[in-house]
Amino acid sequence: MHQLLPVRSELRISRYMQSFAHYAFKAPLNAQQIRRELRAFLSEHLPQGDPALKANCWMNFDPQFSRELGKAGYIGMLWPKEYGGHERDPLERYIVLEELLAASAPVGGHWIADRQTGPLILRFGTEEQRRKYLPGMAAGEIYACIGLSEPNSGSDLASVRTSARKTDDGWLINGQKIWTSGAHHSHVMLALVRSEQGSERQRGLSQFLIDLDTPGITIRPIVDMFGGHHFNEVFFEDALIPHGALIGTEGEGWKQATSELALERSGPERYLSSHALLAELIDCVGPEADPLLVATIGRLVSDMWTLRQMSMSVAAKLAAGQDPMVEASIVKDLGCTFEQDLPVAVQAVVDADLADDSTLMRMMAVLLQAAPSFSLRGGTREVLRGIIARGLGLR
Amino acid sequence: MSESRTQLTEMADGLFAELRGHGFDAIWPRLEEAGFGLLLLPEANGGFGGDFGDLAAVMRLAGFHALAAPLGEHILTQWLLSKGGLAGEGFTALAGGLSTPVPWGRHASKVLVPVGGELFLASGAVTEGASPVGESRDTIVFDMDSAESLDIEADPLGLIAFLRVCQTAGTLDAALALAVDYCSQRVQFGRTLSQFQAVQHSIALLASEAAAVNCAATGVAEAIDRGDAAFEIAAAKLRTNTAIKIGCALAHQVHGAIGFTQEYPLNELTRRMMGWRSEGGNDSYWSARIGGQAIAWGSEGLWEELTRRTDPRS
Repeated sequence: MHQLLPVRSELRISRYMQSFAHYAFKAPLNAQQIRRELRAFLSEHLPQGDPALKANCWMNFDPQFSRELGKAGYIGMLWPKEYGGHERDPLERYIVLEELLAASAPVGGHWIADRQTGPLILRFGTEEQRRKYLPGMAAGEIYACIGLSEPNSGSDLASVRTSARKTDDGWLINGQKIWTSGAHHSHVMLALVRSEQGSERQRGLSQFLIDLDTPGITIRPIVDMFGGHHFNEVFFEDALIPHGALIGTEGEGWKQATSELALERSGPERYLSSHALLAELIDCVGPEADPLLVATIGRLVSDMWTLRQMSMSVAAKLAAGQDPMVEASIVKDLGCTFEQDLPVAVQAVVDADLADDSTLMRMMAVLLQAAPSFSLRGGTREVLRGIIARGLGLR
Repeated sequence: MSESRTQLTEMADGLFAELRGHGFDAIWPRLEEAGFGLLLLPEANGGFGGDFGDLAAVMRLAGFHALAAPLGEHILTQWLLSKGGLAGEGFTALAGGLSTPVPWGRHASKVLVPVGGELFLASGAVTEGASPVGESRDTIVFDMDSAESLDIEADPLGLIAFLRVCQTAGTLDAALALAVDYCSQRVQFGRTLSQFQAVQHSIALLASEAAAVNCAATGVAEAIDRGDAAFEIAAAKLRTNTAIKIGCALAHQVHGAIGFTQEYPLNELTRRMMGWRSEGGNDSYWSARIGGQAIAWGSEGLWEELTRRTDPRS
């Protein structure tokens, strides 16, 4: 029995959390001013469409809004000015992101370019690539999509088969990507492709910036289960892209692609993307609300507050130049669970029919149906829990 | 972490580890000797000059090491008494309300108890009671005629909630450490439990719940240090209660039968947490408050409040 007693939980480790390094979010001194300016911007520029469509806002494509946002300096905030950026602080950017999401702004157009592709180009790209893409991305005019999944390569990304063959004229791309969000709106795909024939698993992969107007590329919609079009299939048939489309180092694609995943998973969109529904619920109830409804709101707000604390800590760790892969996975997993619980919790306490045309009911109906995707996109729940388990030393 | 907090936690970590498994009588003199009662008192008054972040760090360790003594209550009553200009003798207990069981009430010289928004230093007739893990939770019939009023604003129930949040942060981490160690050693079907994906995912979820409470504890301590923390205390305690529900179940599940024995140390952790869900306000108490507050603020007001509270004052 004595061997079962704790070994690792001795003195040294007990002062620290086992899996989540807490970083203090030292909000910039001008935080309130940033929020005031952004709220003023939003009151002028938020589209006045159907409020029910505000749910799941970071998937909503609105190029006019993206352009206005870019013009106002809210995209590419961290990038150098010479590439159209604004050289702001990472926590200033975090504040802008959470304000945009809390206001349910339609940020779907530029979101991936701002969050992932732009920073990757800045880090690994050539001068030419930076000049070609970054100013347009920061202006909210060039949009990007991420080409990872393939028909036989979903969570198991290392089984990628789309190939790039080097020729005198450039790289010849053949194969197929699938579940590519926003490809139909995007100008460029950041694709993970097998550039060494016969290579296996993580070896021999490279990343390419593929302009989607290249001949030989076909984009077909995949309509989701409730009629939305976010996903696509993208086919490459002898699509010839220039030598300069390779980004970073040939053969280092796996390392480069996984380094951007922390960016993909660490943002506040993983708990705030459905905020419109909670906001609508709060504003719908009167002072004489049913105690069960009040309690439900209380529980949801408490979950949201906690997720915000966690998300801010991840942002602070990222800003400190550390890799928050495990922490980001925890926040994404808990955030998705919260967002999946939200429409169900509303349904449990609001006495109305799903055919009801109130904003609350229509928003709820949208999110009930969108919710299954939350724990699939950006790393499935199973993948995330595997990452957390690895962080704990279990695998 | 500040240098003084690092020293404080190093001292507390070592001491609490040593005191693990001991009862009040053995523990108390050691805590007194270490001077924890001075933690929140200003340096000008001979105190440590600590803040609630320091208290949170100490209470997290008390939870981690299953410290069986009212350390947090003691630190808080010393601080409240000092603010109210009164002196306490030995251990002064903290009551969440007139009729709530008082942690280690039988060991207290007197008790700080709130009545109608006012805080009193009182004593009374003690009926001994116990929490699930056997810690004293005593019912006291207060003699309010002899009670002294402290002219300060305080919400003892909220403060107890804060302590339990911080203790749970450490206790869940301790349960996680046990789970990781046990599952890395125990072999079934020819491999360690930690190699089974189903077990990995249960432990990952336990870690996530522990992380949520740790972040909530830090967040609420920061809020108290900034001033008004009624909202954060409510949010943190409610989230902590959920984490205890999920975390205890998972910690036991991955341990199998051994975790259900008296001999194995998991029960010292989980049984404590089971009791804490009722202390310092249960789910119903806090969800009604926070829900009512959110509705009164409205959705825009809620977001403005959330952000204003963590932004620097401009």
